[in-house]
Amino acid sequence: MDGGEEELTAHETALYDRQIRVWGVDAQKRLSKAHVLVSGLNGATVEFCKNIVLAGVGSVTLMDDRLVSEEVLGANFLISLDEYANSNKSVAELCAESLRSFNPMVGVSFLSGELSQMDGQFFDKFDVVVVCSFSQKDKILINETCRKRQKRIAFYTIDCRDSCGEIFTDLQNYTYMQKKGDERIERQLNYPSLEEAVLIPWKDLPRKVTKLFFAMRVLEKFELLEGRKPGETSLADLPSISKLRKDLCEAQGLKESHLADSLLERLLAAGKMEHPAVCAILGGILGQEVIKAISGKGDPLKNFFYFDAADGKGIIEDITVPDAVTA
Amino acid sequence: MAEVATATEEGRWRDVDRLLSRNGNLVSALFDPSPTLREDIGEYVKVLVVGAGGLGCELLKDLALSGFKNIDVIDMDTIEVSNLNRQFLFRLQDVGKSKAEVAAKRVMERVSGVNIVPHFGRIEDKELDFYSNFQIIVLGLDSIEARSYINSVACGFLEYDADDNPLLETVKPMVDGGTEGFKGHARVILPGTTPCFECNIWLFPPQVKFPLCTLAETPRTPAHCIEYAHLIKWDEMHSGKAFDADNPDHMQWVYDEALKRAELFGIAGVTYSLTQGVVKNIIPAIASTNAIVSATCTLEALKIISGCSKTLSNYMTYNGQEGTHIKVTDFLREKDCLVCGPGTLVELESSVTLAEFIEQLEKHPDVLMSKASVTHRGNNLYMQAPPVLEEMTRSNLSLTLYDLLGKVAKDTVHVSGMVEKNGKRTSSLRKLRVSFKGVSTGPTDMDT
Repeated sequence: MDGGEEELTAHETALYDRQIRVWGVDAQKRLSKAHVLVSGLNGATVEFCKNIVLAGVGSVTLMDDRLVSEEVLGANFLISLDEYANSNKSVAELCAESLRSFNPMVGVSFLSGELSQMDGQFFDKFDVVVVCSFSQKDKILINETCRKRQKRIAFYTIDCRDSCGEIFTDLQNYTYMQKKGDERIERQLNYPSLEEAVLIPWKDLPRKVTKLFFAMRVLEKFELLEGRKPGETSLADLPSISKLRKDLCEAQGLKESHLADSLLERLLAAGKMEHPAVCAILGGILGQEVIKAISGKGDPLKNFFYFDAADGKGIIEDITVPDAVTA
Repeated sequence: MAEVATATEEGRWRDVDRLLSRNGNLVSALFDPSPTLREDIGEYVKVLVVGAGGLGCELLKDLALSGFKNIDVIDMDTIEVSNLNRQFLFRLQDVGKSKAEVAAKRVMERVSGVNIVPHFGRIEDKELDFYSNFQIIVLGLDSIEARSYINSVACGFLEYDADDNPLLETVKPMVDGGTEGFKGHARVILPGTTPCFECNIWLFPPQVKFPLCTLAETPRTPAHCIEYAHLIKWDEMHSGKAFDADNPDHMQWVYDEALKRAELFGIAGVTYSLTQGVVKNIIPAIASTNAIVSATCTLEALKIISGCSKTLSNYMTYNGQEGTHIKVTDFLREKDCLVCGPGTLVELESSVTLAEFIEQLEKHPDVLMSKASVTHRGNNLYMQAPPVLEEMTRSNLSLTLYDLLGKVAKDTVHVSGMVEKNGKRTSSLRKLRVSFKGVSTGPTDMDT
């Protein structure tokens, strides 16, 4: 997408002054023309929406047909439980109403339906697609649908469980100008699809890959085999998931000890619960990434990000097909 | 069909309760997990948020959602349009109102049960008592001076035992966050254990200050031209009239003059936007960095208060522009830090009066403080202001400090007054360890 010929209005210039000083007028114009789709409104995506709405993207479209409940609201600061406990409006509709007031210049809307059932044409309206709390099967399906489109659609997943979380990014073939000292050189990055990334045999991955990556894959597999929705787990599942871990590690050539019981217990017991501050960190990181991808400025993350409140560390893992040719 | 995990408290808080109600490998020795820990935090813990701007708004939201129920927030500013790209609690119609008041109101509307008391004013205008009320102070400030001040207040409460170990009950923990563009930091300050703000003040790059001769004779950059117009030409052409950065006519004048000068010297790049930035020292800012740093600070505050996990040790830096970098560094304290150390040692004869002591502070090489007010364990020994207190404490000036401190061999006093830093006079609060020469530290014979 190009920067366009129209100048920013006086109001936009005043409102966005502080951030224009960070990324420039050109980037701000690109942002204002970008259309973002967010499906699955939990703590982390709600934080992400706040950040990009404040930044002034063109539009944000929300999808989440769940009705309001205590469980659904958890770390969602956009909707007050007291006000909407008995509403029959969906979470998406209520979040949209709240988000609009953050920045009236952004087109915030909501749609009903299941994203995994939308055809390819539906996605052409968007430049960025973000999904949260989807099964691995659906994440892969949506990612593939996006990749088949003519225009490049940036695809992200974000998930927060307990007080840790994961972000996945797929920018397909991404070219941008990188600052190196006083010069700017062209760089090209080739991102694998989610399916390609998770199919890489674990023994072919670098040894130091964080255990959070493996834990998430084991959980997703467990949920798939047991027919559970994302996060529908409890401590009672520990015996079954331990067995699954054993089988997977054997098949994949990974030492079982790399994936400790304590981490699995923690994630199982947490289920769908997300810590608000961790959602803010993940939503902040994802906000930065989407802004970088839309504006074409700054080195984008490739391709998995993990954060764990237990040690405060943010870890980037480049899970790429080993013999892919990169420019 | 497996059962979904059931919450032990009402659904709203189950995420926070997860952290507080179960044991783990990284908890502190004092951690006492229980389903009621969150309620206890809500009832007994008071947290102070300093600043209700980019970091402050995010902090208030995060703290309220994390179970803190008694929050005070202080900020002296009012809302401006340029705040709205990140200070998400404010709307266009709030421009002109107090940031602290609007922020408090908005968060209380969203999170039931939380009480936020706003303070629209300067941090220096609050009594020490005010700060001592809080179990933890979280900073969302944008200047070195403000951080320095709060740091000196918090570290002022710290006391040491005879072996120079910090007394735990006097430790006032702080969590400090800062951001600029895509970069930010979060740090944990446990006075006496981790470095305080002054211990590591060398971490800051030198503040940009152009030499006058460069501005006057040999400008090379657009900023030189702008500061010439702002600091030199303005006074020449408007003698007496103060420059007002918020007056668009004044700013336009500086811009025009800067442009003229730039043309004269063949320098490109002077824009109105740059002029504003240089004159007002504008810090570029975006929402997402503030979100990340504030949330990190909130997590640390929760861990410090509850002991539910290892705290950050002790300085996290974040850079989101060139890739995404998060690094945690374990900095060490300055043993002899003038602010968080046991106190600058001042040795006196027991015959020295309070008046003489105050005078000596002006010349003491490690203090250099003028017009000092002196307090001892919360008692005012002598206050320079306001007039009412000055009159009340004036009679102490002729008494010996030794008598005033209760005839002990050594003790700690706090002094506040004016010091000179980088050519600027600023107010400063310091801790002094007073030691009387020739007085035995053994069992004392009381004079009757």
